[in-house]
Amino acid sequence: MKNFNRRSFLALTGMGALGATGLMAGCGSGSSGATLRYAWWGNTVRQQNYTRALEEFQEAHPEITVDPEFAEYGAFQERMTTQMAARNVADIFWIASSQVMTYEANGLYRRLDDIPTLDLSDYSDDDIASFSFDGELLTMPHGVFAPVTRFNETFLEEDGVELPGEGWTWDELSEFLIDYAADNPNGRRGASYTPDQDMALEAWLRQRGQDLWTEDGSTGFDAEALGDWFEWWRVLLDEGAVLSLGEQEGMQPDFSAVGDSILLNFGSSNHIIDEAAMFPDYKYRLRSVPVGEGAADGHRFLYFPRLAIYSGIDDDRVEAAGQLVNYNVNNSDFLRTVGLTMGAPPNPRLLQEAYEFASEDEVEMLGVVEAVREEERRPRYEAPPGTGTWREALSRASEGIALGNAGVSETAESLIAEIQSGIDQGA
Amino acid sequence: MASLLKRRAPCPGSVERRRGRAAYVFLIPWLLGLGLVTAVPLGASLYLAFTDYNILGTPSFTGLDNFERMIGDERFWAASSVTARYVFISVPLQLMFALLLAVMLDRGLRGLPFYRGAFYLPSLLGASVAIVILWREIFGHNGLVNDVLAFVGIEGQSWLQNPSTALSTLIVLNVWTFGSPMVIFLAGLRQIPEEYYEAAKVDGASRIQQFWHITVPMLTPIIFFNLILQTIGSFQTFTQAHVISGGTGGPVDSTLFYTLYVYQQGFRAFDMGYASALAWVLLLVIGAVTALHFILSKFWVFYGDD
Repeated sequence: MKNFNRRSFLALTGMGALGATGLMAGCGSGSSGATLRYAWWGNTVRQQNYTRALEEFQEAHPEITVDPEFAEYGAFQERMTTQMAARNVADIFWIASSQVMTYEANGLYRRLDDIPTLDLSDYSDDDIASFSFDGELLTMPHGVFAPVTRFNETFLEEDGVELPGEGWTWDELSEFLIDYAADNPNGRRGASYTPDQDMALEAWLRQRGQDLWTEDGSTGFDAEALGDWFEWWRVLLDEGAVLSLGEQEGMQPDFSAVGDSILLNFGSSNHIIDEAAMFPDYKYRLRSVPVGEGAADGHRFLYFPRLAIYSGIDDDRVEAAGQLVNYNVNNSDFLRTVGLTMGAPPNPRLLQEAYEFASEDEVEMLGVVEAVREEERRPRYEAPPGTGTWREALSRASEGIALGNAGVSETAESLIAEIQSGIDQGA
Repeated sequence: MASLLKRRAPCPGSVERRRGRAAYVFLIPWLLGLGLVTAVPLGASLYLAFTDYNILGTPSFTGLDNFERMIGDERFWAASSVTARYVFISVPLQLMFALLLAVMLDRGLRGLPFYRGAFYLPSLLGASVAIVILWREIFGHNGLVNDVLAFVGIEGQSWLQNPSTALSTLIVLNVWTFGSPMVIFLAGLRQIPEEYYEAAKVDGASRIQQFWHITVPMLTPIIFFNLILQTIGSFQTFTQAHVISGGTGGPVDSTLFYTLYVYQQGFRAFDMGYASALAWVLLLVIGAVTALHFILSKFWVFYGDD
């Protein structure tokens, strides 16, 4: 110990640092395998299911290690923002709908169609073209949603009422909801107040021959169409057919809190899976949103949640990332483990296989999506850069109308101006 | 021998220099923290305030554009108004409440340590997410407040979903966290010499007169200290509004605190240049208000040596 002088200490420290460096190098993407980071969002059940599926993937591919990065939707976006600023994004990540084109404009995606481990043979050329941006496959859908109304069949039976027929119009639904709220003996409301449900709004606009977003990255709707949408909801609110803001504790009510006091609500087709489970004593059904008279051709649409490989990924880990994406979007074992909370599988082969293990609610969801998939659909464009907060602005505008702060026309005009200003800023 | 003594005698200047060097060595962790965690980001944000920067790309210099944009930004003014009302209402209320309770507790109550701990607890918990969620449940449509009101025959409302009452609810939450200034007031009260009160009693001063003419003047340095701390903290309020409104500042921007708006611009709209400019305006406002407090303190704060 006497001989342990400053020189010995420095030598030992240097050797330790060298050893640590060697160890760290070994942890990276050496020839023995690859480590991938996979980032996604959701609730606790989805976190557990996907973690299990990623473990199964690693058992099937022992040369690949997957580090899961999970967060709740809002926290996921915050973390993505920080990771993007640090250029430290997960290798494979889910994409929030409002950020698809923002990320694309900033080169966050790595091209997918040149990765040999990603098998695209199940998809038609039309499918691949619809997933691509300017002919490049940069993201891969891992689910399919359709806009729907979800209704409580148990309540309909208890209250002895029937919904308008399958080809219902918005006016028929409005009349029905007003009558239902006025007459049902259990004090239930027709629906929650959700003019900010973006898929229902998009359906409303497309039926009028307008679009949420245009191909050249602008707002595709006018103040009249948006004002009419707000007016449709305002009438329901004034008539007591929908919950007030106070009753539903603000915009975007928690379904577990309001589900037993409303007959139906608007949403994405996949929501039935998580939300029906909140009320196991009730039977929920799905139906397409109403269609206005003289609706434009091809108004039906589907939404594809997407995932991507980060453009900054090392070349020697691209094939491993391709394998994981392939497992995610093309493998029925993965689908069986994670379930159908992200909607119907975009892979047509998996869609048919899914019926074998789908629950009753999931079959209902698959049927609705498949029906829309078979219909003619005119193109749909993703939200352009600079629209990251458009849904918050829509909620704020809806809130203002409910509180009587402004008229529907004035609100519609100022909302469009605000969204367009964001687009101009993001351009 | 003389030369040996000369060599051994420590040179006062060199000893001080060595001590100074040693002090700087011990200060290195703090200096690194100050530099890397505070000064560098502060400098970076000052630069970004004059740029158009969306996080993903490279910042491009835009001069004063971000500051000019604030003038026509309705939400900037809404956020400023909400924050100003919150600061100028909640801070005086909180300090008055804290002082009142400190005076009561200073009168030698039995179980004083328990009360002191119990009253201090909300200060530790007030800004925590769990407590804010609890607050949301208490003031919600089906919450405790409405249950109590219903018991006495009054129909309640959703206090947090009504723009007229949402901010007041957050002010009440802030006032409830009076424990921290209260403990400081208690310490200040113990420093006031008992002889002053005894002399006042001999002169026939009532308790209220003693409070106004002895307690308050003697406590003014402590009141000033608490005022500065609470004002700066209130300008920076974020968690409560974020949790209560789900990050939106709703209903209709009635809880859109300034820091929440900065966060929305930076982390939701990816407009980090504008968010940095907003943050610098807040820093300047806090600096100006603090400077004003110091200037005005000459007229109402009495130190022992005055």
